[in-house]
Amino acid sequence: MGVLEDKARARTFYKYLSQVYDRINPFIWNEEMRDEAISWLDIGPEDRVLDIGCGTGFATEGLLQHTERIYGLDQSPHQLSKAYQKFGKRGPVRFHKGDAERLPFADDTFDIVWSSGSIEYWPNPVTALRECRRVGKPGSTVLIVGPDYPNNTVFQKMADAIMLFYDEEEADRMFTEAGFEEFEHRIQQASANSPRAITTIATVPDR
Amino acid sequence: MQEDLLDILCCPLDKHDLELEATERDEEEILTGTLTCTECGEAYPIEDGIPNLLPPDMREESPA
Repeated sequence: MGVLEDKARARTFYKYLSQVYDRINPFIWNEEMRDEAISWLDIGPEDRVLDIGCGTGFATEGLLQHTERIYGLDQSPHQLSKAYQKFGKRGPVRFHKGDAERLPFADDTFDIVWSSGSIEYWPNPVTALRECRRVGKPGSTVLIVGPDYPNNTVFQKMADAIMLFYDEEEADRMFTEAGFEEFEHRIQQASANSPRAITTIATVPDR
Repeated sequence: MQEDLLDILCCPLDKHDLELEATERDEEEILTGTLTCTECGEAYPIEDGIPNLLPPDMREESPA
């Protein structure tokens, strides 16, 4: 667990991050990777999709090409203000301020639960993953993109200090503890030298 | 927010239903108002059409 364990710190961090986010993000998670991950889902035009930690709306933009029933949630007003600029406050995306670990949605609401580039900031990822499972309809898909644990020791030290990074083994543990039975991980990477993303596709089990 | 959003929203703390009190609305949307938990009584503001469902311990007290 890193320095963002404290939610107040996370807020401050995001306030500054939102100013550069769309510029640094493409090095780690670009449009091509996003669209590849979206293609692993079978999103129909009537599907209700939740984008947890939608931030500035980078993934939201890709998801919007498949359905107009998108619900964006983020804790940071600074990140969200960028998303409002892109989509409007009252466009096709319904925005909410909220906490990933305490989702304000009823059980069995969504056809797809998506979250990219957010899990690394969740102080209690298992709690948030349990919430993803709760709000997803049984049989629906939860897709989570996070940073894969780096091989290089310098990056490892940085990773351990700053935020959550996890490998497949750790992802197995988290998703199992959160009550998922069926899931797989896929590694995505923008280029040979860039940090890898670990994408987990999980099925919401029957209750 | 649109009123039918209430069908899927719940209190982030105890997951009970929310009751809407709209103070400002146009033809389609509720612009300002309050969502109150029917169980614990916690109130969540709707600000410029966006429901703020952050638990009370995560709300920003001062505008940044």
